[in-house]
Order: sequence, then C-alpha cells, then structure tokens
Amino acid sequence: MGSLQKYYRQSATYKIFTGIFSELESFLDTLGKITLNGIDTAKFIFKGEIELKEVIEQCYRFGITSLPITLSIVGMTSIIVASQVALEMVKQGGGNFVGLLMTILIVREVGVIMSGFAIISMIGSSIASEIATMRVTEQIDAIEVLKVNPIKYLFVPRVLAGIFMMPPVVIIASAVGVIAGAITAKLTAGLGFMAFFDSAWLGIYLKDLGVCLLKSVFFGATIALISCSCGYYANGGAKGVGEATTKAVVWSFVAIVIWDMIFAIAFFF
Amino acid sequence: MSIEVKNLIKTFDEKRVIDNVSFKVEDGETLAIVGFSGSGKSTILKLICGLLTPDSGEIITSDGDIAMVFQYSALFDSLNVADNIAFALHERKELRNKYSEKEIKNIVAEKLELVGLKGIEYKFPSELSGGMQKRVSFARAIVTRPKTILYDEPTAGLDPISSTLIEDYIVRLKDETHAASVVVTHQMSTIKRTANRVIMLYDGKIVYEGTPDDMLMQNNEYTKQFVTASLDGPMHMISEN
Repeated sequence: MGSLQKYYRQSATYKIFTGIFSELESFLDTLGKITLNGIDTAKFIFKGEIELKEVIEQCYRFGITSLPITLSIVGMTSIIVASQVALEMVKQGGGNFVGLLMTILIVREVGVIMSGFAIISMIGSSIASEIATMRVTEQIDAIEVLKVNPIKYLFVPRVLAGIFMMPPVVIIASAVGVIAGAITAKLTAGLGFMAFFDSAWLGIYLKDLGVCLLKSVFFGATIALISCSCGYYANGGAKGVGEATTKAVVWSFVAIVIWDMIFAIAFFF
Repeated sequence: MSIEVKNLIKTFDEKRVIDNVSFKVEDGETLAIVGFSGSGKSTILKLICGLLTPDSGEIITSDGDIAMVFQYSALFDSLNVADNIAFALHERKELRNKYSEKEIKNIVAEKLELVGLKGIEYKFPSELSGGMQKRVSFARAIVTRPKTILYDEPTAGLDPISSTLIEDYIVRLKDETHAASVVVTHQMSTIKRTANRVIMLYDGKIVYEGTPDDMLMQNNEYTKQFVTASLDGPMHMISEN
C-alpha cells in the first residue's frame, strides 16, 4: 500500500492536480484578502477617518508623476491607430468619419485602458514594492505595535488617490489622444483639422463621457487596492518584494480588463 | 505584575516553535531571553506584543502600551526622525487630540535628548548610522510611555562601543519608565549589563531560568555550552536535527 501511495504521488496526474489545486487555493486566498482589505478601506473612508496630508501626497504621486508616461502611451497609441485607419478611410470615401471613429475609440476605450496600463506599470508597481519593502523590513509590524491601523495608514490614502486622480488623468490623456489622432490624420491622409473635429463630436454622447469617468474611478481604486494588498502580504526578503510587485502588476492588468468587459456589457450591449 | 506568560504554545507548519513556556516579568525588571537562532525567542516577543496569536496559553500584560524595538530598527524610511518618533502621536486619534503640535515637537526633542541625539529631527533614517537608527527607534518606542518594552536583539550588528551605549540606554529607559522589559539577545555583555533575570530557550522550551551571574556559575549543561560557544553539548543547531 505504501509503495502504491508513493508511486501515485510521483505520477504526472497527481502532480498536475496538486499543482492546479495549489494555484486555485492561492488565487482564492489572494482574491479573499483583496476583498477583505477593500471592505476595511471602504469602512474607514465612509467613517471619514482620512489623513488629508497623506491623501494629497498620494494624489501627487498618482496624478502628477504618472502624467508624462500616461500621456505618451495614450498619444502614441492614437498615432498608431490613426496612421492605420485614416488613409484607408479617406481612400474609401469615409474621410468625414475619421474624427468620429478616433474619438469614440479614444473616449470609450483607448484613453482609459491605456492610462490604466500606464498607471499600473508606474504607480501600481511602485506602491506594491514600497509596501512589500515595509513588510519585509518590519515597518508594518512597527505600525501595528504603535497601535496604528495599517489599512487606515497605508491603504486609505492610496485608494482615495486612485479614485480622485484617475479621472483627470484619463480626461487629459484622452484629449491628448484625440489631438494626436487629428495631427496623424492630417500628416498621413491630408485630412484637415476642421474635417476631423467636425465629425469628432457626432458620435460622442454624455453617456460615453460618464461611463469613461466611472470606469476611471473603478480602475483607479482597483489598481491602488490590488497593489497595496499584494505588497501588504509579501514575505521573505528581496525575492518576496519582487514577487509581490509582479503579482500586483499581473492582478491589476487582469482586473481592469475584467472591469472593462463588465462596463462594455453593462452599458454598450 | 507587568507581564505574565502562562503555558504558551505556538506552532508553525506543524513545528512547535514555542512549547508550553511560562514566565513572569515584574515592573522595573528586565528579563533576557537567550538561545540559538530559531529557538523561538523573537516569536515570544511577537506573541507578547500581539503581532502573532498563540495556539494556546495566556499572556497577561499591564494596562497601557507595549513598545517594541526591532532588530533592524524598522524606522519608516519616508519619514524624517521627528515624524518617526511622533508617528503614534500624529496617527492615533486619542493622542492627537491630547497634544498640540508644539507639545509634540517638545516631546520629540525631549526623547531625542534622552537617547543622546539632540538636533537630528530633520534627518532621514538613511542618513543615520546603524547605532543612531537603533537609538531613534528607542525614542519612538518610549514616546507613548509604555508599561512594557520589548527589545529584539538590540545590539545585533553593532560595534562593541555602540553596543555598550545601547545597553546603557536599555538600563536608563527601564529606570526612567519603570517598565517591564524583555530583551532577546545572543550577547553575553547585553545579558550581564541589562538583565535582572535570564531564561534560555532550546527547541521551544525553557532549559534554564536564573540570574545572569548564576548562568555563568551554575553547572547547567545548556548554559555552559552557550557561554563557552561550544559545539559539544546537548544543543544542536535546528537544521542539524
């Protein structure tokens, strides 16, 4: 019986199933921790237990320091898309709709999702590694021993910064994206600015702007919450910090794509 | 009674790290906990200050704050020295309402003077030496007037002179605060200079309890091996088990 058990434990089927269950367990564990931290963070926010100074500091980090990279990524994505479609549309007689297409694309999707990706790679990773380093150097233990709640001190200001700063970043990035699209359409297809902007407004409704802002609020809160949580549960030394940062980036990317899909189904199906 | 630990048990991954440990520390007394690395010394401190929860057993402490001085200081890198020391006063609602900013500033200056670091309020932890960081963490620990102070290897990694200085501050803080102190250490000089009593842990159990002088004099095979740093004796490194 013992040798049979030993043989079974060495089998590929056993290893595959234990691997799958261990991954599933780890996934559910992380999801549960993020959810519980989100609930605790929301409780502090609704009770008004907010450190204004910390929130302002994190808003600066979230909004101002991320702006150059966010604008560059959204702007360059617009240039790529416009350079692909503008000339073809003009050739096919659809030149009057280039502005409309580009604006819909940027306001509904490109602006917010590319800003999200930029903020994950720049701010989310930095939050995760900062908090993970605090964990492995016992700074979070020190916060707890000093009877200060780490969720209140670390999570609340960062999540609020995500909520407050993501919408303005997305608005500015989208505006830059539309302008970059107009310039590209002029350079590649000779489409005039008047022709571009005349159609730009036709396909955009208040609902699109509202959904874009709502999405950006959800994205901001999600990126901050996931990054804080992944850092908070880091363990080990430098390796643990690296793993926490990677986890935060991967989870945030997947989470905002899931949110984007939910918003698309809820508002545009 | 400031700290009373009764029948404490803590297990990690089916390994019993603390195995039925009991001891008491009176107000104004310093207890040193010694033993091999991995013998459960730091775990006891984390259990006392609430960072870990015991599987069973009881920890009774006096009302009031418990302070802990961490092995690597654990100062907040993003805050300057003054903000590190005043952290609890700024972040805890009841303390923030109790003290004005001016009073907090005075408290910080007073604590810094107590640890011999007057005038470094606006320096950041990365600008300080290891010994200075440790002294700032002492100042941060005592800012809330704790009834219990825990030290996790306070002299680890310091040169002999800095170690002596830190040991003097441990004694001084005990005299100033009359707190019950627990010092986890490997260093004989720290034991001799700071402790009133010593307990020695091996494999999660107490194998010696007595005064520092008795530890040197008694014919206990565990303490004898520890003091002489001999490889021969009843204790083996955990990895050798």
